[in-house]
Amino acid sequence: MKHEIVEKQGASIVVFNGEIDLESSPAARKTLLKCFENNRNVIVDLSAVTYIDSSGVASLVEALQAAKKNGSLLSLAAVSEPTRRVLELARLDKVFSIYSSVDDALENKS
Amino acid sequence: MASGHLELLSKMSGHLAVTLNLEETIQKALDLIVKFVKSEGGALFLLEEKFATLVCKASAGPVDIRGIRVKIGEGIVGQCVTENTSRIVRDVQQDPNFDHSIDESTGFQTRSILCTPMVVNGQKLGAIELVNKHTDDGLFSDTDLLMLQTLASAAALAINNAHMAEELVEQERFSRELELATEMQRSLLPVTPTEIYPVAGINLPANEMSGDFYDFFELEDGRIYFSLGDVSGKGMDAALLMSKTASLFRCLGKTIHEPNVLLATINRELCETAIHGMFVTMVCGLLDQETGNVELANAGHEPPLIHSRDGTFTALPASAPPLGIMSLQAGGNGIREETFNLDGGTLYIFTDGVTEGCLEDGSRLEQTGFQDIIRERSDLPIAARLNAVVSILSDTGRKRHDDITLLAVKDPRPVLRHDADNDWAEMVARFTFPARADALQSVREVVNDACETCGCIPEDATDIIIAVGEACQNVVRHAYKGLSEGDATLEIYCKDGILEFRLRDSAHPVDQEKIKPKWPKELGPGGLGICLIHDIMDEVEYLPIPEDKGNLLRMVKYIKRKDSYET
Repeated sequence: MKHEIVEKQGASIVVFNGEIDLESSPAARKTLLKCFENNRNVIVDLSAVTYIDSSGVASLVEALQAAKKNGSLLSLAAVSEPTRRVLELARLDKVFSIYSSVDDALENKS
Repeated sequence: MASGHLELLSKMSGHLAVTLNLEETIQKALDLIVKFVKSEGGALFLLEEKFATLVCKASAGPVDIRGIRVKIGEGIVGQCVTENTSRIVRDVQQDPNFDHSIDESTGFQTRSILCTPMVVNGQKLGAIELVNKHTDDGLFSDTDLLMLQTLASAAALAINNAHMAEELVEQERFSRELELATEMQRSLLPVTPTEIYPVAGINLPANEMSGDFYDFFELEDGRIYFSLGDVSGKGMDAALLMSKTASLFRCLGKTIHEPNVLLATINRELCETAIHGMFVTMVCGLLDQETGNVELANAGHEPPLIHSRDGTFTALPASAPPLGIMSLQAGGNGIREETFNLDGGTLYIFTDGVTEGCLEDGSRLEQTGFQDIIRERSDLPIAARLNAVVSILSDTGRKRHDDITLLAVKDPRPVLRHDADNDWAEMVARFTFPARADALQSVREVVNDACETCGCIPEDATDIIIAVGEACQNVVRHAYKGLSEGDATLEIYCKDGILEFRLRDSAHPVDQEKIKPKWPKELGPGGLGICLIHDIMDEVEYLPIPEDKGNLLRMVKYIKRKDSYET
């Protein structure tokens, strides 16, 4: 898994690329939590995520909890099909704010 | 005279009322009449042989003429019955109708005769004849005739009652015998030992006795011999032939372990003692409980159906004519044997009482209706499926004309076998990997390839990869506590629409309680993985491992395949 962070319109856009599994999820978790240290809203671009397992989902959940704690927002954008499936199976698809694209997410944030 | 007459009538009625035995009744009646009319002798004749002959049933006086037969219209008694009139013959020597042969054979000398027919409700029963009045002139008077007529009417009524009583007794005896025969016949049918036993049968006769039968029993080597037959006709004769055939099956089946040879042998026996025009259609087969293989032979019977695991029905038509008609050889052009594997499916054998059975609306069930009933209930135990067919056909409020008999034979093996060497399904992959997070990606690739090989649709493949990924992740995280000190092995088996995964590690056994799927209140990764596995897979279980420590997780997914999904 690779990641990239883009700052846009006052939000941190985190783009994950590849597979978020037990091996890579600690890195993903660390990246997300770090973003909230700056009290910024975070949009996670999941379009290039080809696989996510429960540890990856747990990282997203932890990030969501961190956002709520410090009054920031966490949004998921352009969720890939494999990711959507896991969120659905985990009954978490209604827990996250999910947008069809990063731009949509930005629009709703502003 | 009149008071004596009444007294006699009441006495006779008293006697006649207490006895329902015909012979006793008529003898008593005749004795009383002879005594009262002061005759030397008398005889009571009843009509037999379709009312063509009078047979003497009771006799009083010096000679016993019981058993003597007189054709109606012949002799004085014969004429009385034919013409339905009474006669006084004061001197038989002067009467041209008098038959001298009886006197000649008995040595008795008949001088005068008084004769009257016995009739009830217009139906002739016979006649009473008195001979030789005792009194001074030895002649019967008109008063005697009148009295005989009255007494004969009373006797006729009593005879009629006794007749009816005898018929009733006979009927009751017959119905009791029928009951015993029914019970006996039912006891020939085997009982299915348990709900999961691979063979079950049911028989519902239309009447007390059935011309259908089924049977099954286990051979010493564990194979199950099963059979179902239908005897032509529906009466007691069919029922007896059924019992004979069923006995032959059970007896000869113990030593003849080839279904077609067994049918040929039973055929020979039936032909030797052929009952004219009767025959038997019969299917018999052997089920190998280890492999699910079936050897089947069919002599003239309605084609059995195989309901495959994929839901299709296949008919197996008869290769030979019914049994009991002509000599048949086993094999070749005679009784052939079919061999097939149940492959997770079920074989149904049934009589035409099923397919020709009537539904509530009067239409016939036919094979299509039968298939619908079975298809809708394929998740029930086999006996329950058969019961459903029978209750649909019997709860119609209509009179059934044919026996209903069904036999089901299912693949006795579990969907996939639990033993370590799974030789039933084909192993498509075996992958041993270090129990480390960085090995999980390769595991997913192996699973993905296996799904591809087995032709499963992409949606299923995605899910399977998620579930197996979670299972492997749990091994890494929990079983080995995240320490990289062991290997795990994933085996993947495939058979038709089933993918089975066996994940084995050599870590400490997991606590079964902790790995039950519980949706966590606090969302954390651990419990979520277990829930995903259970959500996606159709079967999840830990198998016991006899030797050394470790865990063996078995997961099964019934997949949709690309080829079958598109059609």
